[in-house]
Amino acid sequence: MIVAGIDAGSRTIKVVLLDGETLTVLGAGVVDQGIEQEALAERLLQDVLENAGIRRDDVAAMVATGYGRKLIHAADTQITEISCQAVGVSHCLPGARTVIDIGGQDSKFLQLLPSGRVSDFAMNDRCAAGTGRFLETAAAQLGVRVAEFGEMAGRSAEAAQISSMCVVFAETEIVGLLAQGCTAEDIAAGIQASIAQRIGCMGGLKATPPVVFTGGVALVPTMGSALSAALGHPVTVAPEPQLTCALGAAIMAARRIDASSDSE
Amino acid sequence: MTDLPDRITLNEWDRRYAELSRAGLREPDYGGCLRRHVDDGDTRLLSLRMDNSAASLRLWNFLLTEEDRLRKAREEGKLLVGTLKDLGTVPVMVYSMKNAVAFYPDGAWWIPCIMERNAKLLEIADSLGIDDSFCPVRAMLGAFVSQAHFPIPDLLICSVGATCDDLSAIAQRLDAMGHPVHWWEIPFRRAPDPGEESVALPGIFLAPHDQVAFVRKELERVREILQDRAGLALSDADLAAGIGRANRVRSLLDRLRETVFAASPAPLPALEMLIAEMLAIHFCSDQNECMAVLESLLAEATKRAGAGVGPLPEDAARIFWVNPVADLRVMNMLEDAGGRVCGTEYLFSHALDRIPEGIVPMEALARAALADPMAGSPVDRAERICHDIGRFGAEAVVVSSIPGASHCALEGTIIGDIVRRRLALPILEIEVPPITDSQEPTLRTRLEALVETARSRRAGIP
Repeated sequence: MIVAGIDAGSRTIKVVLLDGETLTVLGAGVVDQGIEQEALAERLLQDVLENAGIRRDDVAAMVATGYGRKLIHAADTQITEISCQAVGVSHCLPGARTVIDIGGQDSKFLQLLPSGRVSDFAMNDRCAAGTGRFLETAAAQLGVRVAEFGEMAGRSAEAAQISSMCVVFAETEIVGLLAQGCTAEDIAAGIQASIAQRIGCMGGLKATPPVVFTGGVALVPTMGSALSAALGHPVTVAPEPQLTCALGAAIMAARRIDASSDSE
Repeated sequence: MTDLPDRITLNEWDRRYAELSRAGLREPDYGGCLRRHVDDGDTRLLSLRMDNSAASLRLWNFLLTEEDRLRKAREEGKLLVGTLKDLGTVPVMVYSMKNAVAFYPDGAWWIPCIMERNAKLLEIADSLGIDDSFCPVRAMLGAFVSQAHFPIPDLLICSVGATCDDLSAIAQRLDAMGHPVHWWEIPFRRAPDPGEESVALPGIFLAPHDQVAFVRKELERVREILQDRAGLALSDADLAAGIGRANRVRSLLDRLRETVFAASPAPLPALEMLIAEMLAIHFCSDQNECMAVLESLLAEATKRAGAGVGPLPEDAARIFWVNPVADLRVMNMLEDAGGRVCGTEYLFSHALDRIPEGIVPMEALARAALADPMAGSPVDRAERICHDIGRFGAEAVVVSSIPGASHCALEGTIIGDIVRRRLALPILEIEVPPITDSQEPTLRTRLEALVETARSRRAGIP
């Protein structure tokens, strides 16, 4: 039994193919999001299926999640990224009690029960503060790509104080700091710290260890240690942190098949 | 024609209305097809899903024709009293007089939602220097300027002190615009000191006797103003009768809440319940009709609960809702996501509690006023919320905040912390502006995630 999870995020689409019985990953892929969201997701799914040597007809169930989940009409059902992320993380790192997910356009703080179920959660509000978008804007202003941003922050001698949480105001603040002679490395470290602090107090939730970090921003080196400093707990970056939500969606698809066969 | 409960769109209501009419629907003089309100500019109705019962039709028509009643009252020479901020005390006094009608000009905060900015009230407020850093109640200023939504009241009475800072600022601006406001003070409610003489308030709180005495004195001042402007005495006997009538409304509402929140499936949707609860504050400008509307809703809810039917699925996640929403559509969104409301604290729980009877009426009103959740600390509010969650049962809580409303800035987090600690329920904080369309995907995601979280906590569901 093959199942699929599609995470249609704000910046990227992720697909995970799973053996629904052994929960072994059979294939996965990531592609940038675009205007034709459903077509992009369909193409990515086809690519992943081809690479894994699996026919489309063999996919017994599919769950879509993420910001664009409602647009994935091929999916059997849609489940929010909160639930899927919890399932994905609990599968990869059983016992995780807190998940910090920073994606392109939003960030999430999940508290998990020992069973791996969500006990509470918070998401950032409408603005881009504390998201990958915030990081992208800052990186562009410092003349580096996001991939290099973490390394740059790692070379900082002393993180700059960034007080603005709004992307627009932070841009102004960065200009001011550069004019004062602050190094790009210190500014990058300051931005990471400010994102981490914002996430650390999201929704008044408290982090309980073990803390797992997921989402595209978890791929940025040193962001995990900035979070760890803000939360006061060690932070583990999930293996394939961009894919855990799609993995969770695929596991949910498998569970739905199990549940329906149990009820027959 | 099917009588199965459902939430239907305005287009579907057109057909439903024709069916009900053919089946012999009897309506009060303000009745009619809901479509006419859209034609009058209430375009948000096109985006809502409303309950399909004749009782709900009557509720909607009652709500959307308040302006007509106010204009009629003006023509009849009645004293029109605008009661600002105070939610549920001064209106009881006003309706104790035979020739006076109270209404709630602050209620104009829903106009930008119902009319989707067609009324341009917020733009007028902007031009008066009251921008979107203030609560949407600022729409009231626009309504006073345009004079298109309610007749200008003969008298304005506003509570100050332990009330929202921004509402006070808006009311002061109104005063400066040539609409004189009579102020009365409601102090910040504190817990009695050890050994201090205390008084039990309606609800669950105690207050120092001195504070109740102070509020009583303030309300005596309001009584003098009312008597002076109406040219009639407002006796204790009048007030006692007025309190009795207000309590009949509160009692009906209490039974309605009990019936709807306790039953499964929910016999009425959250949107109609929100509007019904709002009637408790000021009776929508007709106390007797207000009772008739509530009786009709209660009869429908009782019938549906008895038959085990309702417009929402039986397994809907039970959600306790804190604070009223500026965009009514959000109540629909919760239900679309698989939730149902099973308890509320819309900032005026004191207007739902029975006013004490059998004591001096002004003393009773002072105690009722001091029970206002906004007159106390957010910790008190959280206490009341925990108490009411226990009464109705809930699997999760939504704390909705109103952008610009000063009390919402920190209160939500405090309430969330306390409820989370005390009851270990998932809490979702959301901000709801008058029109949420641009935020709909993220709002829906949060509400769906809350429902999924609540359901996943039920044993046996993966």
